[in-house]
Amino acid sequence: MSISMALFSPPISSSLRNPYLSPKNSLSLLSVTRASSDNGASTTDSAAVSATTVEIPKPASVTVEEVPSKSPAESSSDETDLPTTETGIKFEDAKWVNGTWDLKQFEKDGKTDWDSIIVAEAKRRKWLEDNPETTTNAEPVLFDTSIIPWWAWMKRYHLPEAELLNGRAAMIGFFMAYFVDSLTGVGLVDQMGNFFCKTLLFVAVAGVLFIRKNEDLDKLKGLIEETTLYDKQWQAAWKEPESSSSTVSSKK
Amino acid sequence: MATITLKSFTGLRQSSPDQTNFISHVPSSLSLTQRRTSLRVTAARSSPNLANRNLRVAVIGGGPAGGAAAETLAQGGIETILIERKMDNCKPCGGAIPLCMVGEFNLPLDIIDRRVTKMKMISPSNIAVDIGRTLKEHEYIGMVRREVLDQYLRERAEKSGATVINGLFLKMDLPENWDAPYVLHYTEYDGKTGATGQKKTMEVDAVIGADGANSRVAKSIGAGDYDYAIAFQERIRIPDDKMTYYEDLAEMYVGDDVSPDFYGWVFPKCDHVAVGTGTVTHKGDIKKFQLATRNRAKDKILGGKIIRVEAHPIPEHPRPRRLSKRVALVGDAAGYVTKCSGEGIYFAAKSGRMCAEAIVEGSQNGKKMIDESDLRKYLEKWDKTYLPTYRVLDVLQKVFYRSNPAREAFVEMCSDEYVQKMTFDSYLYKRVAPGNPLEDLKLAVNTIGSVFRANALRREIEKLNV
Repeated sequence: MSISMALFSPPISSSLRNPYLSPKNSLSLLSVTRASSDNGASTTDSAAVSATTVEIPKPASVTVEEVPSKSPAESSSDETDLPTTETGIKFEDAKWVNGTWDLKQFEKDGKTDWDSIIVAEAKRRKWLEDNPETTTNAEPVLFDTSIIPWWAWMKRYHLPEAELLNGRAAMIGFFMAYFVDSLTGVGLVDQMGNFFCKTLLFVAVAGVLFIRKNEDLDKLKGLIEETTLYDKQWQAAWKEPESSSSTVSSKK
Repeated sequence: MATITLKSFTGLRQSSPDQTNFISHVPSSLSLTQRRTSLRVTAARSSPNLANRNLRVAVIGGGPAGGAAAETLAQGGIETILIERKMDNCKPCGGAIPLCMVGEFNLPLDIIDRRVTKMKMISPSNIAVDIGRTLKEHEYIGMVRREVLDQYLRERAEKSGATVINGLFLKMDLPENWDAPYVLHYTEYDGKTGATGQKKTMEVDAVIGADGANSRVAKSIGAGDYDYAIAFQERIRIPDDKMTYYEDLAEMYVGDDVSPDFYGWVFPKCDHVAVGTGTVTHKGDIKKFQLATRNRAKDKILGGKIIRVEAHPIPEHPRPRRLSKRVALVGDAAGYVTKCSGEGIYFAAKSGRMCAEAIVEGSQNGKKMIDESDLRKYLEKWDKTYLPTYRVLDVLQKVFYRSNPAREAFVEMCSDEYVQKMTFDSYLYKRVAPGNPLEDLKLAVNTIGSVFRANALRREIEKLNV
């Protein structure tokens, strides 16, 4: 397909070689090629494009460059002639069909390999974060992560983390029990009946759950402040005592 | 017999010429002579009647807040003056009004340029979700031109008896004692464009500050500052065939590229679309965000021509002091813009009306002087009615605009019909509708699921980065 396009491009570009030199004429080049292509909106496009040069030069250059890059099928000859900002870098993958992952291509031993779908989607999102793409109505993205069953997510993310946290809790629990026993002589069973020990247990479990990295401590403090900030801003109008209105507030 | 009693009553009363509501005035007038000597009168009920005149209230700013306030004041029998600096001000604004505003403010249907019945939410990874399937036939989001709406509300205020002055409010002298008037300094243009205008002063009893995000009234009373977002918008005229796609559809783009704490939008207007974005924390990068928004919508606004570029500040939370003695702030000046959606027109108009109603009630249709406690009633009513809405939207913003995984989860959840129904119900009618508890539980589970999946994918992405 690209070879045939290359074959077609020389005759067109040779006729337009001179106009290509000046940017102003490159717009007329644009309107000529747009008119020649089978695009129903070509007349309005060219009118709009020629109008942009009069209006605001800077944004016009953006809109002009947008036009050729987004019709790769019909006028890839434009892409070769005009300097475009991006030649429509799009996310493409053999398994990404019609805006969603084709589950049949992910089969392994006759069953769908959910893990590889998760990894593929992560790769797609990473690609889009680095190269944000335009949305088109022609190829809508329809993928919904909920088609991957819940146990696949559990197995891949929840279970390893749960194992880690339970391990931490077990180690802390063992040593705290030993420590308390050696200090006070109270055995494990008797410790469980004591209120203070139960509180300590609760603190240990909460600590293991919420503080997983060193930064989490500061993050939690920030979180508490953040949740109450909006309310404080609203109540500020009521905080003022009535007597302050009698004092001269501020003749700024 | 009746006439004899009438004469004796008028003899007792000190000042007011009004004889129609003398019954309600009798108790206060009897205590008038005693109360005159006390320094502070706290309750309006015991305020003195105004001698030979009605209460004079100035409304600074002629947007939706000012127009609604002036109309309600004038209808309540109060001498109202509305000061607006630019009568044909074409404000940079999304221009979306909820359905309830049309009913509550009796807006004529021809003010609405477009009825948006479909919305598309687009996630950072371009997953697009259509919302609006649950809307009924008569439900829509109205898109208006601000200059048309503002002018209409001002004209209605004028018809009700308010005096509309084309002028720029400069500053205000605060009164020395409790019954001295406020002295407003303003420049009157009187319709002459380009002229420097005349400096004038005016004495009024109370002021409603409806002059927007950079309110001078707020500065005069030391209301304090607020955090604000910058919203940047470009109006783009696109070819007709592309315009048919936006006939009744608006789009919302979320993503780190579009905005770190807000969203980018494409809203259809009368004959063009408005493409814009906003941010609170990264105001310096707004142009970059705008380019990214245009890039995301590139295909759909292809061949478009930018006809106008505009930007405006959006308050993020109310000012610390929303009123002081007999000056109250309403609308953007007070900071009544919701989080998450950035909606302000309806709340501006409603707060203007509520404040005016409080003044009308406290002054008993303009017969008495009002006090801060009357205005506080407006604050009370406002907070009681709308604080839950503001809180919910704040939580939504905090949870779902945090990061790309959160936004992905947000968009995923919006595909759920129950969410759509609840969202539109609360947006269109401004009531927190009681949902079905079973559906609420399902929604909670789905939310947790979506957030978990999005965060799991984020961890996967991080693993790929390494």
